[in-house]
Amino acid sequence: MMKFSPALMDLIEALRCLPGVGPKSAQRMTLHLLERDREGATALAEALQYAMARVDHCQRCRNFTELDICEICSDSRRDRHMICVVETPADVLAVEQSGSYRGLYFVLMGHLSPIDGIGPVEIGLDKFQQRVVEEGIEEVILATNPTVEGEATAYYLSDMLLPRGIKVSRIAHGVPLGGELEYVDGSTLAHAFSGRRKLEQ
Amino acid sequence: MRVNLQPAFLLHSRPYRDSSQLLEVFTPEYGRLSLVGRGVHRKARGGSLRATLQPFRPLLLSFSGRSELQSLVSAEPAGLAITLRGERLFSGLYLNELLLRLLHSQSPHQALFAYYGETLHNLSGEAAIDTVLRSFELRLLDELGYGFDPLWDVRAQSSVKAEAWYEYHPGLGLVECHSQAVPEHSRFAGHDLQAIAKGQFGGARSQVAKRLLRQVIAEHLGGRPLHTRELFRQFRQKAVQ
Repeated sequence: MMKFSPALMDLIEALRCLPGVGPKSAQRMTLHLLERDREGATALAEALQYAMARVDHCQRCRNFTELDICEICSDSRRDRHMICVVETPADVLAVEQSGSYRGLYFVLMGHLSPIDGIGPVEIGLDKFQQRVVEEGIEEVILATNPTVEGEATAYYLSDMLLPRGIKVSRIAHGVPLGGELEYVDGSTLAHAFSGRRKLEQ
Repeated sequence: MRVNLQPAFLLHSRPYRDSSQLLEVFTPEYGRLSLVGRGVHRKARGGSLRATLQPFRPLLLSFSGRSELQSLVSAEPAGLAITLRGERLFSGLYLNELLLRLLHSQSPHQALFAYYGETLHNLSGEAAIDTVLRSFELRLLDELGYGFDPLWDVRAQSSVKAEAWYEYHPGLGLVECHSQAVPEHSRFAGHDLQAIAKGQFGGARSQVAKRLLRQVIAEHLGGRPLHTRELFRQFRQKAVQ
């Protein structure tokens, strides 16, 4: 069996750390980079190295950034009295793209998962509490996922914030836009009914 | 071996590889099972397998495989998810951790499975949390064959007397003791034990029952504490502050 040189083998092995990349795709990527796109490969290597060396968590919202305080947190046009709590950086992006929210964020980087030993400290809730108090936040929007762990996290947070007189809201759960009731899961539909909204003239 | 449409409850899931999940489920005929749900996350975009696979929801699972770790073939809901609110959600997670830690895999537990479903329903209602949890703990110990009897003095080989004091010896059971010799937090009054055996855990007795069952369960946990209990403790502590 023919074997590649050690440098090539290393690269193939290294590429496999990417999600969805098996041995075959890793080999294809390696050969593509070497044969056709050496410039792109160099740029990739530099970008990777730079990002890995510099990107860390924002000191305020825990989102990824190479700055001390990320751009969202330091943006003066944003509503500084509102914080939206999400589980992952991808959730921040999703909310940002919806364009419906102009406040600040806090990224938990996970959710409470007691069975795995992930408690309030691991997801930075002590820091969050401190931040809410220090910055005089008025409203907290809990946008954790509507899973059992996400609900547990939301409940823990609401219990932490409500006694301090902070307004707390939970994002609505219900029928997706363009969806059909017939195909919506029963539990979701039950939520949609219990959280129905009164129409006004 | 392929099993079709087995009733089940999900106890715990964790991400596995790119888009799969490792699922720990509780079934009546096979007890606790570990399954791999391949592509569960990926399907979440089109369908809703991930949304179906949530704890506290009656499920029908089909799975196949020969090894310890079987593959999930399909999953469908067998009813509405049981909604546990607030503190009761933590209690539900506690039940799940208890089952995860104590249940042996691949042994049938029909009665316990039914009782687990019933317990979740009780939790979702107005019933006192402590009472629901204690009854489940007692039943669990019984079903697993640890056979803890709050009415039996193992040393005297007789029933517990209402006016005497008892302490719990790991590996043995309840033993009569002198009220002076044993500190208050590790001894139990006979009349409390008699009430616990009848399923009366309410009021002032709830703390006694909790203390007793905690000792009995700790013996079977092999030294590792329960995480949900720790979380609950932090939660309570915060409420006091």
